[in-house]
Amino acid sequence: MSDHFSGPRALADPAADISDVFAFPAPGNPQRLVLAMDVFGKAGPSAVFSNAVIYRFRLRRASIAATGPGGSSFAVDAEEVAFDLTFDVPSGANDTAQQPQRGHCLTPGGETVSFYTNDENGGQGPGVRVFAGQRSEPFFLDVRMIEKTVATRQIAFKKVGSDTLYGTNVLSIVLEVEWAKLLDGGPMFAVVCETLQAGPQPTRIERVGRPEIKNVSLSFKMFDQVNRDLEIRDLYNSEDAFALTPDYVGAYRARMNANLSFYDSLDGKIDWPLDEVGNHPLTRLLLADFLVVDASKPFHETSYLEIERAMRAGRPHATAGGRWLNEDVMDFIFTLYINGGNGPRISDGVDAPIAWSSTVFPYLAPPNPPKVQAP
Amino acid sequence: MIAALPVKRAISASGTNAAVMTHGTIALRNLEAQIEGLEPNATPSRLGGEERAWLIDLLALRGSILGSIADYKRALGLADLLVRDASTEAAAFLARARTRAVFHRFRDALDDLDVAERLAADAESVDRERAAVFQGLGRYDEACAIREEYARRCPSFESLGALTTLWAERGDTERAEWLHAESVQRYRGVSPLPLATLDFQLGVMWMHEGQLDRARDHLIAARRYVPAYAPAEGHFAEVEAELGHFDLAIALLIPLATSSDDPDYAAQLARICDAHAGYPDDARYWRERAAARYDELIAAYPEAFADHAAEFWLAAGGDPRKALTLARRNLEIRKTPRAGSLVSRAIAADEAAGAWCFSHPQTSHSATSAAN
Repeated sequence: MSDHFSGPRALADPAADISDVFAFPAPGNPQRLVLAMDVFGKAGPSAVFSNAVIYRFRLRRASIAATGPGGSSFAVDAEEVAFDLTFDVPSGANDTAQQPQRGHCLTPGGETVSFYTNDENGGQGPGVRVFAGQRSEPFFLDVRMIEKTVATRQIAFKKVGSDTLYGTNVLSIVLEVEWAKLLDGGPMFAVVCETLQAGPQPTRIERVGRPEIKNVSLSFKMFDQVNRDLEIRDLYNSEDAFALTPDYVGAYRARMNANLSFYDSLDGKIDWPLDEVGNHPLTRLLLADFLVVDASKPFHETSYLEIERAMRAGRPHATAGGRWLNEDVMDFIFTLYINGGNGPRISDGVDAPIAWSSTVFPYLAPPNPPKVQAP
Repeated sequence: MIAALPVKRAISASGTNAAVMTHGTIALRNLEAQIEGLEPNATPSRLGGEERAWLIDLLALRGSILGSIADYKRALGLADLLVRDASTEAAAFLARARTRAVFHRFRDALDDLDVAERLAADAESVDRERAAVFQGLGRYDEACAIREEYARRCPSFESLGALTTLWAERGDTERAEWLHAESVQRYRGVSPLPLATLDFQLGVMWMHEGQLDRARDHLIAARRYVPAYAPAEGHFAEVEAELGHFDLAIALLIPLATSSDDPDYAAQLARICDAHAGYPDDARYWRERAAARYDELIAAYPEAFADHAAEFWLAAGGDPRKALTLARRNLEIRKTPRAGSLVSRAIAADEAAGAWCFSHPQTSHSATSAAN
């Protein structure tokens, strides 16, 4: 749930609020690429997908354009493929009994694969398998200690933290795609997920690529000397991840520079010196806010940002990159932001979700039972 | 080379209201799911202050859609706990101010807003909450100044919608309708709940103006957005009764009166059965049910239910003296034109009842309306 509550507008309809995006080669079948989008963090058992939202996976072919610590970057094609998922109003939607909801996946080739939610076998079409339904939240972190770290400007993580998301559920959409057949190219792809308001002119509600860009990296205003009062996330959500509006890039850059510099200062030393115009070395890379996955490389449990780190180091990448469901992304991010890997691992004290995801379709663990009410 | 999109997938940076809304039953079910997901975790160790405040707002929202007093009570209880646990967090006091205002505890709400302001809450957020309390108190000019300034600086669905409700309550129908149209044009969400709420407010406005057809249109719109919107259904039934469609009104009200913990539906049923439809036994049943519930609510939350209870005792309840006491109490809390009008009607009814008793000394005062 790295992107949950990521902007006031997204809160208006929880079923449109993307919490996480994952992309990884199918562990048992390298011909297949797995894409997953979670929405509706902390979903109760009644949660269903909105009939007014298009859940979109966008993929563009990517390649490495530049390497080295100063300016590594990707080149991303202008053309793209997309998978659009839509959902019907479930029959008996106002009943307490859980009625399955019918969903439809429009593939890049224009074929529609229909399925019912919570069917673990999913729907199947030529080169694609689809699951949608309620699952256990795969993300884990200690939000209270992140907030305390920011408020006190000191690392507040405990040896044993408290998983804010323990036992909660999300609505997940999982696609398993024969990438060579359906994506017509590759093997490296830039992946971003979006929710859009359906209608004659679909309107973007939210977009997510990398984890914790909006909340951990962009939301805090107090370090930003340029736009101290700007709630930047709704603006950021409305942007095309592959083509940021030039007018606003300066605002995103200023916020990202300020917040990354704050994190870098937490261990009392500077691991990320700013360049001559005040840019943090990671800002450009992170504002290219899409997961990059190389489907030709083997699946690896801890591959998030491995391609980008290899680019900075000027070496070939060894893993598929992207993001696997079970990776402890928060520890990775804090270690990267605070010491750049030049020091000990920074752990938030939460090392596992309530249930690990599996290596077989639909990957995410079944939903947790509802809890009793707090006193 | 990746293939270009063979299927047109348009994208726009700004939407229009021709866009699809989430179906009302899904929206309500997902509101339920949000509450289910947050409420078991509503302790300081599990949820931060902002999320607990969010849960309080969700409960109040569900209360307003389903006409559920239990949800409002739960929200108020959680707000008290939140302030106890997070006494240095402005969000806690803002959340409690909102729930106290729902229960017409306007002075307490203003006190909470003062604390929130001292705790460095965003001044604009505090002012917006103050405007809502001022509106409840009938301090319309102060509410208007804040809301117009907000709308001038930030003409959004939220700011113009807030002004819509203010002018609707003031009875400026032309301005309220214009603001409603401006507000809806700016709506960019997929949830139908905010749109349904605004249509409901305008429906109530036109009911007060006696323009039943226009009231009907807005209430139908509210029910179309959210079919289970209980207060919209209840007011729609009232309009139908006023238009002479008593059986339809009764059919609409019975499920509400049976399932809701708000006595307003039973009160309306009693009034319609008694005065219009000639079902005296049904009228008695619903009157007794409403009376008992109003007495309970007045004992527990006198400020919140004084106006509705006064309306009940003035009409189907048949006790204008009791109505007058409650109407005066309501006027002490909120000096709105409607509160003043309620007192005037209660005085007139009480005097009429007194005159009737004078000429019929063997009849008790409080039985007059029922006897009529």
